[in-house]
Amino acid sequence: MGERLLDVSALEPPEPRDRVVAALEILADGEYLRVRHRREPLLLYPWLQEHGFAWHTQAGDITAFEIIVWHTDDARATAAAARVLKP
Amino acid sequence: MAHRRCPSDGGRGAGPETVSGIGLRLDQAPPFSVPLRFFLAAPFFGAIAAVVVLAIGPEILASRWQPALLAVTHLLTLGVLTMVMLGALMQMLPVLAGSPVPRPVTVAGVVHGLLVVGTIALAVSFPIPYTGLRNAALIALGGGLGVFIAAAASSLVRASANASITAMRLALLGLTIVALLGLYAASTAARARWSYNPAYADVHLAWGLVGWVALLVIGVAYQVVPMFQLTRAYPQWLRRALVPTLFAALVLWSGVTVIGSSPAWLAQAAAAIIAAALALYAIATLWLQTTRRRRLPDATVRFWTLAMLSLLACVVLWSAHAVGMVADARFAVLAGALMILGFAGSAIIGMLYKIVPFLAWLHLQALGTSTLPNMKEFLPDAYTLPHVWLHAAALVLLVPAVLAPRPWLYPAAVVLLVSFLWLGWNLTAAVRQYRRSAIPVNV
Repeated sequence: MGERLLDVSALEPPEPRDRVVAALEILADGEYLRVRHRREPLLLYPWLQEHGFAWHTQAGDITAFEIIVWHTDDARATAAAARVLKP
Repeated sequence: MAHRRCPSDGGRGAGPETVSGIGLRLDQAPPFSVPLRFFLAAPFFGAIAAVVVLAIGPEILASRWQPALLAVTHLLTLGVLTMVMLGALMQMLPVLAGSPVPRPVTVAGVVHGLLVVGTIALAVSFPIPYTGLRNAALIALGGGLGVFIAAAASSLVRASANASITAMRLALLGLTIVALLGLYAASTAARARWSYNPAYADVHLAWGLVGWVALLVIGVAYQVVPMFQLTRAYPQWLRRALVPTLFAALVLWSGVTVIGSSPAWLAQAAAAIIAAALALYAIATLWLQTTRRRRLPDATVRFWTLAMLSLLACVVLWSAHAVGMVADARFAVLAGALMILGFAGSAIIGMLYKIVPFLAWLHLQALGTSTLPNMKEFLPDAYTLPHVWLHAAALVLLVPAVLAPRPWLYPAAVVLLVSFLWLGWNLTAAVRQYRRSAIPVNV
């Protein structure tokens, strides 16, 4: 389904941001990243914006927050991510 | 739960906006030099306080009015605690409240400079009661704290309320009250009156240690304990009720104490509420620490454990003294020392060990530094974990130092001196790492 999962909920700032950046750097075509987080990753947003990623932050089932991230230029990833976004 | 989402067309997300109840506006963070100048000054004042204790010796504890003891107390409360707390607020207000302190670099420079000069002048003016020196202290401290209070108030009135902002607002009121009482105390007429009736000094002390220091530590803890110690959040009822209850009880206790004609039980009831609320906060924090998701050794967690145990010990001692179980005045001094060095001192050192590397990292990231050092490279565990034991030893030594100052005061002061020097070394080590990785910080 093109999903990569990353749980950073047991890490203290700023490790989650570093792990997400590392995971996004190896994201394959058609893939989106689902990040499980205990807080909203405000430190991450400017980096995502700068590097051409779109994201959607929503309530998680396992952790307080879930962030779905995909590359804006990747149509397949955009479509795959759209299927898991909560309204 | 509120959601934040990027534009529905699948485009890029917009700039930072808040969804999680506490809006962290990182784009509003002031330059690193703003908080750092306060943080780096604190160990210096702590070390000076320890040196004064060593120079004067056991006579310093002859009475609570001993000029050198008053000097040491104010070197610690103004030079260490208030110094760090003002720097932390300069950093946190724009980020937490989303409304920047106006002209942060200028305000920080003026407030810091006046606080440094005023604290030194005040400390010297206790043993050397030269009018010019005291007036210099009054002007510098009144000016510095006044500028800070005005700047912080202008930020806080615009902030949207949450438990931390409420605590900061009430703590700022507490700072205003303790500062006004302190300035008044420095006038000749007031000094005579305070010497005659120590209740006035007790009110000044209570607003300083509880109304200012404890309220702010509690308000900041609501944010930094869950965030950096990876605990659960403080229970919502506690966040809502604790600080307003403490503040109201403090107002009641102060009024009854100053008026003096009210029934004694009213003051005792208010004091009991303050003691119970502080104990509840300490127990809640210790309990939260048991919910940590990561069990690795962490200096900040251990410093905060020390802080909460010290607060509990202080509450027990102070309560026992207040109800006459221990009549010896030395126990009240010990309670004060545990509050200043044990509770607030440990909490502040623990917070600095997290916040300084984090801010260094944050500013390097904002500068676009290609290879970001991780947090432990700024301040390795090998530097911070042994400091916990050293500071704990200083706190343990406080007990015999106050109860049997000859000879115990000397080892206690030496360990405390080394503890503050160690803090200074560690903080400058983190700044050196920052400088190696980026452009220099102008402090």
